[in-house]
Amino acid sequence: MRVLVVDPDPARAALVAEGLSGVDPLEVRHAAIFDEHEAALFEPDVVVVAADSPDRDTLDSLREASLANPRPVVMFVDRSEPGLAEEAVRAGVAAYVVDGLAAGRVRTVLEVAMSRFALMNQLRQDLEKAKADLASRKTVERAKALLMKERGLEEEEAYKLLRKLSMDTGRPLAAVASDLLAFAGVLKGGKA
Amino acid sequence: MRLKLGFVPLTDAAPLIVAQALGFFADEGLTVELSREVSWATVRDKVAVGALDGAHMLAPMALAANLGLGSEPAPLIAPMALSHNGAAVTLASRLLPAEEPDAAGLARLVRRRKEQDASPLTFAVVFPYSIHNYLLRAWMAQAGIDPDLDVRLTVAPPPRMAELLAGGVIEGFCAGEPWSTAAATRGVGRLAVRAGELWGHAPDKVLGVTDGWAGEDPARLQALVRALLRAAAWADSPAHRAELAHLLAEPQYVGVEAAVIEEGLRHIRFHADGANVPKLQDAAWLLEQMVLWGQAGAGLDIKAAAARVYRPDLFEAATTTPIR
Repeated sequence: MRVLVVDPDPARAALVAEGLSGVDPLEVRHAAIFDEHEAALFEPDVVVVAADSPDRDTLDSLREASLANPRPVVMFVDRSEPGLAEEAVRAGVAAYVVDGLAAGRVRTVLEVAMSRFALMNQLRQDLEKAKADLASRKTVERAKALLMKERGLEEEEAYKLLRKLSMDTGRPLAAVASDLLAFAGVLKGGKA
Repeated sequence: MRLKLGFVPLTDAAPLIVAQALGFFADEGLTVELSREVSWATVRDKVAVGALDGAHMLAPMALAANLGLGSEPAPLIAPMALSHNGAAVTLASRLLPAEEPDAAGLARLVRRRKEQDASPLTFAVVFPYSIHNYLLRAWMAQAGIDPDLDVRLTVAPPPRMAELLAGGVIEGFCAGEPWSTAAATRGVGRLAVRAGELWGHAPDKVLGVTDGWAGEDPARLQALVRALLRAAAWADSPAHRAELAHLLAEPQYVGVEAAVIEEGLRHIRFHADGANVPKLQDAAWLLEQMVLWGQAGAGLDIKAAAARVYRPDLFEAATTTPIR
């Protein structure tokens, strides 16, 4: 497990390492300030940061920017903010750690955060794929309807023609269908 | 009534700081604890979960949180606008040594670097959902630079901008005052453009609370809005600029030299021209920026989203209700 601990105080990284002893292989790296470039090179499985760290906005933005390579981020709240962690967890804001970071709980907390993250990531990917599938199916349907109308084809023939175009050009069916619709628009003098 | 309000150490937190220091909260029967926060994400989360009653917030962040962009959906609303026109783009002093730090010059440099296969220049903004992000992007785009392809954009805390610029980590940034003036004073950066120059009027910070908190006790919200409105009017007066700069300079507030703060104050509008009304067209314009830069889908119902967050009705209720 590769863990990046972003905190001005190196003691926190030591605590994380202690809590994870027995995990093998294990690499805990400490950074006083979050550096995107260094973090990308290190490729952590999980990032640990204090909820009141100035680096939070940077980490928060990575959640958007690096969709290609997202990382779970675990935030912990010091005891000086009673109630925040519980409330945040209840509200699903983030994987806040209750009442500071104790060595005895580090492993459980990180594992829960990572599995929850993996689950959410999977759900998001599934949703995106479902959306894309739906969109391309609609495009193919519209292109098929266009061919049936313009060329007087049966539905089955229209589909075969699209599939042939797709195979001849080596491009996905939905892409061929979308081109066909766009060109038809131009030929009719409509919006491209 | 006891309230805990959050602010980020920036010049445009002035309405909260003035209302506290000059006793405007107390005049409304409010006992306020101001909590200095170091990141916008923390401000958002704390207000969302009730650890803060309200806060000084980036207007686009409140809009995004309500839509569930960048975080779990949080019912944040803006019953009042706090400031306009504070954002500015700063370029590293070393970047265009022989010319004015303008977008056309930067565009030429970006093209030259591309031809030489040099790495793209890195620029920092304060938060993805911020006028700072949109200002930097618009300023680049009007000179033909594609902010998504031709440069690298990153997010960094405003107090660290000057240091990142000096250290060569970034080549420019867009942040609120006092940080652009601070970088110029240190000699590491040059001011390229202010939001007011590009757009005339740029909505920046709002008072952010949750919908539930606002509905719980309307009189409490009205008292809060009135105190902040009085403070905004006070802060906007050029006659108070020096005194305001000294107040903000205190370490528990912004903690930067008064002279640096005073210079930046000239460019922020806190109150004049109805600046405190949370106007639906401001919210709509910010949402259009989100769609423009791909943060929100093109199918977004802008009118509905704007009306959910910006609440001129609550502002009006506060200013027309007789003071207790």
